[in-house]
Amino acid sequence: MPPKRKAPDDEDTGFESDADSALSDQDTFEQLKQTFDVAALGKKARTNHRGDAASFLFKKSDQLDTPLKPDHASRPLWIDDTGHIILESFSPIFDEAQDFLINIAEPQSRVSRMHEYLLTPHSLFAAVSVGHSSKEIIETLSRYSKTALSPSVVAFIERSTSSFGKVKIVLKKTLSYVESDDPAILQRLLQDPEIASCRADDSEGLIKEAAPKIGVMAIPGTKAAAGANQLAQGAAQYPKPAEGETLSAPDDMLAALREEDDDEEVAQVHSFQIKSEERANVIRRCRTIGLPLTEEYDFNNDEANAKLDIDLRPHAQIRYYQEKALSKMFSNSRARSGIIVLPCGAGKTLVGITAACGIKKSVIVLCNSGMSVVQWRAEFLKWSNINPEDIAVFTSDSKTRFPRDAGILISTYSMISHKQKRTHEGEKVMEFIRQREWGLMIADEVHVVPAKMFQRVTYSVASHTKLGLTATLLREDNKIEDLNFLIGPKLYEANWQELSQQGHIAKVQCAEVWCQMTPEFYQEWLKPKSSSQMKALLSIMNPKKFQACQFLIDFHEKRGDKVIVFSDNVFALKAYAIALKRYFIYGATNQPERLDILNQFQHSELVNTIFLSGVGDTSLDLPEATCLIQISSHYGSRRQEAQRLGRILRAKRRNDEGFNAFFYSLVSKDTNEMYYSSKRQAFLVDQGYSFKVITRLEGLENSPDLKLRTVQDRREWLWSVIMAKDEDLDREVLDGDMYNKLAARGKNKNKGAKRTAGTLSELSGGQDMAYIEYPKGRKETKTKGVKNAYLRKLQSGYKNQKKTRAAGI
Amino acid sequence: MVKAVPGALVKCDASIKAMLINIDNENRNDFIIEELDEEHLLVKKDKVAELKSRLHEMMKQVLREPDTDESDN
Repeated sequence: MPPKRKAPDDEDTGFESDADSALSDQDTFEQLKQTFDVAALGKKARTNHRGDAASFLFKKSDQLDTPLKPDHASRPLWIDDTGHIILESFSPIFDEAQDFLINIAEPQSRVSRMHEYLLTPHSLFAAVSVGHSSKEIIETLSRYSKTALSPSVVAFIERSTSSFGKVKIVLKKTLSYVESDDPAILQRLLQDPEIASCRADDSEGLIKEAAPKIGVMAIPGTKAAAGANQLAQGAAQYPKPAEGETLSAPDDMLAALREEDDDEEVAQVHSFQIKSEERANVIRRCRTIGLPLTEEYDFNNDEANAKLDIDLRPHAQIRYYQEKALSKMFSNSRARSGIIVLPCGAGKTLVGITAACGIKKSVIVLCNSGMSVVQWRAEFLKWSNINPEDIAVFTSDSKTRFPRDAGILISTYSMISHKQKRTHEGEKVMEFIRQREWGLMIADEVHVVPAKMFQRVTYSVASHTKLGLTATLLREDNKIEDLNFLIGPKLYEANWQELSQQGHIAKVQCAEVWCQMTPEFYQEWLKPKSSSQMKALLSIMNPKKFQACQFLIDFHEKRGDKVIVFSDNVFALKAYAIALKRYFIYGATNQPERLDILNQFQHSELVNTIFLSGVGDTSLDLPEATCLIQISSHYGSRRQEAQRLGRILRAKRRNDEGFNAFFYSLVSKDTNEMYYSSKRQAFLVDQGYSFKVITRLEGLENSPDLKLRTVQDRREWLWSVIMAKDEDLDREVLDGDMYNKLAARGKNKNKGAKRTAGTLSELSGGQDMAYIEYPKGRKETKTKGVKNAYLRKLQSGYKNQKKTRAAGI
Repeated sequence: MVKAVPGALVKCDASIKAMLINIDNENRNDFIIEELDEEHLLVKKDKVAELKSRLHEMMKQVLREPDTDESDN
């Protein structure tokens, strides 16, 4: 019988009232939660949303019921509740809106008509660090937006900007200080026992001083440089907004900026000193308690470190986007760490050199291969008036030091982070590096460096500022976030399409050529026993692909193009190159031969095509190349695709009338290559490139001396593939590319040495392992003769005696 | 004695042909009458439907369809 029947009436009511009070409690809790939780706030707003049939497609970003502003047609962007910003690139005020958005949000996709940006805590952090206030961000956004800003976006911006960038860590006279506009924040930091223990000065109070003025730093090489230098002297003068902003900002925005500047001029900064050696700990601690420190370097007032005599040569002209990037780095006359993202061939090196000329202190440059070390040195000599003596190179081949107090040192990541024992000479140079204070560290191709390796580098090199340079700030393992902490926020990212329209980088026609597999190859491919590497090799060596490659090479050589063919797989690289009688370079090619081939490619009429393995992916400067054919690639790596494209972006002939560079990706149909190729293109498509698909190359059949035409030839070709050794199947492991090296190492766990955790005592018999001698071993050693030198001598003397005696008799 | 078998002409890509041959080999050569050239096959007419379904299954197994979502491999 159910208990409900038994219950009398009065009890029933009591139960109900109980439930009532419980419910109201729950209600207040919910209310409290909703008032304080931004996500819940957004959700609550959502429940009242009116949707239509298409709403589910947009999920959280459905803004159907947000009313448009009456003059929405003249405003260029939408913002949804999740922080996505859609910008119309055909709007008349697109340029200024873009300039602003690039400061506060991360570009996601920039196709021809619509650009998509995303507001993230990091991007807002970067915005604050270049001097935007949260009020300014919100005001400007709502001015550009077609709809009213939703409260959750406003709250998100306020929250992110309030916690980020409020506290700075500065090096003044080689001492580290934690600095802030707001003494309350510093007091809060000092409440933390860990930070308090790192504090260097014993006094209770904080150091107070006037804030530095904004925008007096002029980037060398720009027209304003001379004027701004004078401005820096006159303190009474009106502060000048940063270069990039004056170029495009409308008057009202300028006025707003000036107001901001005025506000900050009267502001005071407070600081306390921390122990220099605890610097890394303080940064880490502040990050965990939600008040990350911005690193800044007051290089103008740094007298402890020697000044480096370096200036740009007069012929070095800084392009506008390089200037914009650098103005982010040098706003408020201090240098700030961060990453600058420019497409390959857009002059990353010059940005680095200009930054060095701005700071004028010792500079350490880190690149990822010995080849780029040579290139960096040459570029320094080309663009600046630096004394060649002052540039030192630290690689496995040459270890030099600069004679004076300040200089430039160029090295590779692996040299600096090398953990094993070094040569005596190498150790001496390392000591030299460790003991110095560096004004600037330039990290070239920063995306290739694994976080751990970079951490080791940053600990052994004490640098005031770190500048990361890269074209492709992305990694398949999404570890790119780590760089935000190790170097700094992304300071600037250029728009590829804009640069190519202005002729700073070449226009590129991208095409994906689909090659059918021949039946013999495909049958082999289908066999369940073929390993995935074998399958990959079969699809690379597909005779149809080979023919397409041959056809394209012939076609472009006849047009006068210089062609590079990329293959990740060395076996295929060699097979193709030898069959087509062209030069090839891969990891095992030695340096003089490489330089010779590259030289011939650049200057000789006879060498128009070269084959490159993964060595050519990054940092190879070949301005002659105008056509690129890719026959094999590293799975779905978007970065590799973009880096390879970068090889032809700097084409010398890019400013010729109607010039186009060509990028072909040869893909075997019905294999995994199709799947990967769509992944690989994602990044370039986001940059506004479009890939044409070619299913049939016109005139391929009719071209003379096409190889592998007969079935017999193909069978032989197939046979050579099947006979390929296991190590040929794999991708080449390169010294320069540390990220892939690590990845490759991880994959081939079963090959080579195995690593297990254990203790030393285990090895020496501390556990239950015992030392046992087997007779077999003993016998062997016995037959090898007496080990002890004295006994051996004795014995041999005895033998000789015998011999002479025998001879005598 | 002449034996007549009703056949259907299949025109396909070389790679699909390789798949068809593979299916044929695994099933006691029950499907294909004659391989004509790289892109043409003669198969038994009454087996066409079964061959189609087997081919679909095989393609699903062997090939990874390019997906459009953002997930990484």
